[in-house]
Amino acid sequence: MLKDVTFGQYYPANSFVHKMDARIKLLLCLLYMVGIFFVNSFVMFGFITVFLIALIGFSRVPLKSILKSVKGIIFLLLFTVILNIFFNKDGNILVEWKFIVITDGGLIYAAKMFLRLVYLVIGSSVLTLTTTPVDLTHAIESLLKPLRIIKFPAHELALIMSLTLSFIPSLIEETDRIIRAQKARGADFDTGGLVKRVKAFVPILIPLLVGGFRRADELANAMNSRCYEGAKKRTQMRVMKLSWRDLVGTFVSLLFFVTVFVVYGMKSQWINVSWLQYNGINWLYF
Amino acid sequence: MDIIKLQDVSYYYKTYDDNGAVGQAIGVEGVSLTISEGAFVALVGHNGCGKSTLAKLLNGLLIPQKGTVTVYGLDTADKNNIFEIRKNVGMVFQNPDNQMVASIVEEDVAFGPENLGVPQPEIVERVYSALEQVGMIEYAKRSPHKLSGGQKQRIAIAGALAIKPKIIVFDESTAMLDPQGRKEVLEVANGLKSQGMTVVLITHFMEEVATCDSVVVMSGGHVLKTGTPNEIFNDAELLKNVGLEAPRSVALAQKLKQAGFDVTVENADAQTLGGEVCLNLKKL
Repeated sequence: MLKDVTFGQYYPANSFVHKMDARIKLLLCLLYMVGIFFVNSFVMFGFITVFLIALIGFSRVPLKSILKSVKGIIFLLLFTVILNIFFNKDGNILVEWKFIVITDGGLIYAAKMFLRLVYLVIGSSVLTLTTTPVDLTHAIESLLKPLRIIKFPAHELALIMSLTLSFIPSLIEETDRIIRAQKARGADFDTGGLVKRVKAFVPILIPLLVGGFRRADELANAMNSRCYEGAKKRTQMRVMKLSWRDLVGTFVSLLFFVTVFVVYGMKSQWINVSWLQYNGINWLYF
Repeated sequence: MDIIKLQDVSYYYKTYDDNGAVGQAIGVEGVSLTISEGAFVALVGHNGCGKSTLAKLLNGLLIPQKGTVTVYGLDTADKNNIFEIRKNVGMVFQNPDNQMVASIVEEDVAFGPENLGVPQPEIVERVYSALEQVGMIEYAKRSPHKLSGGQKQRIAIAGALAIKPKIIVFDESTAMLDPQGRKEVLEVANGLKSQGMTVVLITHFMEEVATCDSVVVMSGGHVLKTGTPNEIFNDAELLKNVGLEAPRSVALAQKLKQAGFDVTVENADAQTLGGEVCLNLKKL
């Protein structure tokens, strides 16, 4: 039953975004995540929507898989929206009933927060949908490499991630086996109250943990036998090469992000934009 | 030429009972053994007889508490030698899942040469020639956890071969496999032997031993007897003492011979034995 669990959400396809270098995608994704917090008007959200639509189009990932990841944060979304509607008291009061006060400022703020979170998840899910976990691990190792100067264990971190990835299937299999073995001995996982059910998992966790240590020991022996001695003098088989796609992708994304930051700058009045005024309201700020 | 030499080697494990008192359990005790270049040596014995301990002593995973282990004259107890020794002694373990370091076959095989600092183009070359040797080249880009046990174990062998060792040790590498997987691994092992590699096969399946040059029988951490497969198979008392059985074809040949049939007991395998039985039947 646990065998159906797949790790990561990679969607295999042969698109422009899939073929981009994982390092570039990771960096652009980080930039996007920062950028999305500088978007604070509906006009700019529309602008980002155009960017996302183009991105999804070029990644050839079906919209359904992307929306699936939004489903994962639905409670967080509800919580944020409700909190903002009831506790933000900016602007004109629309509804006032006993202790409940709803203002137009609160509604607008809640809507923007909602969009921000949804866009954050959509953007980052494009990264995980178009990049294999293995590529991501390599990208992280390669990007963190310069930090070795300050003794940051970049290689070790990447190795831990890659080992975790390769051991997930066998651990899942083992869990499945233990569950079946305990069920065969009459263990009951499906009835009783919460406490009873949680307690029922102890006989699964203990053998799993013990087995995990045994595996770790065997793996350490296997790694030692293959001359492992940490990051020093280590080379790598995989070469990561940048292509014209990375150049084009970076250029287009940067155009969008720079626009976002410039608009933010205008709103913060670091940049003079009095020429955009219409009837005393700047349309960019709505 | 003797490439591995064990001189009066002992290794004891620490044990703790329920009260936390420290005790000692024998891993191996007073073992002296030499393995010569190009030989195909089998180590047999029952569970807990010390054969896996012996395997781990061969590449310095364990350091003997008494005696010395030398590989090409290098002492495993000297820390400066350890990587030179491990470069020469490749090791394949029992559980194929617990030897995989990467989630893509070719990257797993590349782990060894990467550790040695081999330049990138040569790594690719080594990885693919190792995969070719074990017949797994078409699986290079796949994920190992979807392969069968025998296939995974062949990947593990490729991982050891990519280091270009001169000796390869199979530490019960067939114990967890189905008959098909065992056959695959043994075929690879025999193939490596014919290419001139020194092979140490640790097992408790006597059928696997038949093609070896010499067999070392262990029990309770001691070496009881070293000899050719035939010598071992015919020593009924020894086999009974250590709880092993001669391969079925050999046992059958022995019984037929006792019953007065004209069959060769030595190196008896199902096919030749069958032929000989037919010839005997014709004579009747």
